[in-house]
Amino acid sequence: MAAVAKPPRQCLFVTPGCLEYRRALALQRRIVDARWHGQLDRDVLLLLEHPAVFTLGRRGGRDNLGVSRDFLDQRGIAVVHVERGGDITYHGPGQIVGYPIITLRGSPLSVTDYVTALEEIMIRTAADFGVAAARDPRNRGVWVENCKLGSIGISIRRGISFHGFAFNVNTDLAPFGWINPCGLRGVGATSLERELGAPVCLEAAFDAVSVHLRQVLRMELAPTGIRELEERLQDRHDHL
Amino acid sequence: MKEISELQFAEDVRYAEDHEWVRMEGDTAVVGISDYAQDQLGDIVFVELPAEGDTFAQKDEFGTVESVKAVSELYMPIGGEILAVNENLEEHPELVNSAPYTDGWLIKVKPSDPAQYEALMDRDTYLEMLKGLQE
Repeated sequence: MAAVAKPPRQCLFVTPGCLEYRRALALQRRIVDARWHGQLDRDVLLLLEHPAVFTLGRRGGRDNLGVSRDFLDQRGIAVVHVERGGDITYHGPGQIVGYPIITLRGSPLSVTDYVTALEEIMIRTAADFGVAAARDPRNRGVWVENCKLGSIGISIRRGISFHGFAFNVNTDLAPFGWINPCGLRGVGATSLERELGAPVCLEAAFDAVSVHLRQVLRMELAPTGIRELEERLQDRHDHL
Repeated sequence: MKEISELQFAEDVRYAEDHEWVRMEGDTAVVGISDYAQDQLGDIVFVELPAEGDTFAQKDEFGTVESVKAVSELYMPIGGEILAVNENLEEHPELVNSAPYTDGWLIKVKPSDPAQYEALMDRDTYLEMLKGLQE
């Protein structure tokens, strides 16, 4: 990867814990908008968990969802269509979700480099826990044999990338059985915990992901509360 | 990702900052993305284009290209009405990678303001901009 000589990206680092998917989505879109209009002068990294939800990428169809709406309603699980690349995926507690909202324009990082970098972050995190995860050049993301440990889906608007990656630490894997993950058949999902056959501390994985994000994307992270971020975004709405 | 010197830059088009190009064919503007843009995106698997008759202002989003796991928005390099879209891309989105200035064109536009074309970058200015990005 290029960008060796560049100074690190200054990045607001927001860790709101467990945040409802649609609320996080609205927040991401507002950050992209504020970044584009120059009201926000630095990149943002959101690192969080979502309550259980299925999301469909730009081209994703419900045909890769193997259960009925009623079945999901009874469990309080929503299905949300979003603008990211990729097909269907599941998010839920025990999965670390990273949304780096970063400018690719004016950076030597190409889209393909960036997807490779997100894979690298997840591969290094898995290695920290003694799990050997790998790439599959035909199906991006990170895999342990033919089971998916981490997924990627990004969207680029006005040269700013948003959405990101999802990495299974001690996620309940049953909901992945209700879909064809990423629209692929004959593959399964796995987690760090399943691969190790022993409990894994989510916080330790969270710390590992942060370290690798910082190194691989060369970020300088400034911890920022979600309220503080929302206030900065709110200022802009007052001027519109 | 290739070096700029390995990429092709058509001489008979003008370029926008967002890496779209425009070629005037009579009164019609043909629009696509540059070799640099397709190389940055990687293998394109899907192209989403507007309907004929839609009208957009310059810099409006008119569609998206999906490369592996990434959806990128496309912006009008020139405002106007959509006269045609490249229907071949539905079956063969990879044409945007393999022939970005010819068979991989995206849309044809009836420009609302021809002066917008004149204000776009020529090949050399665009190359200068790209070199600036790489530093």
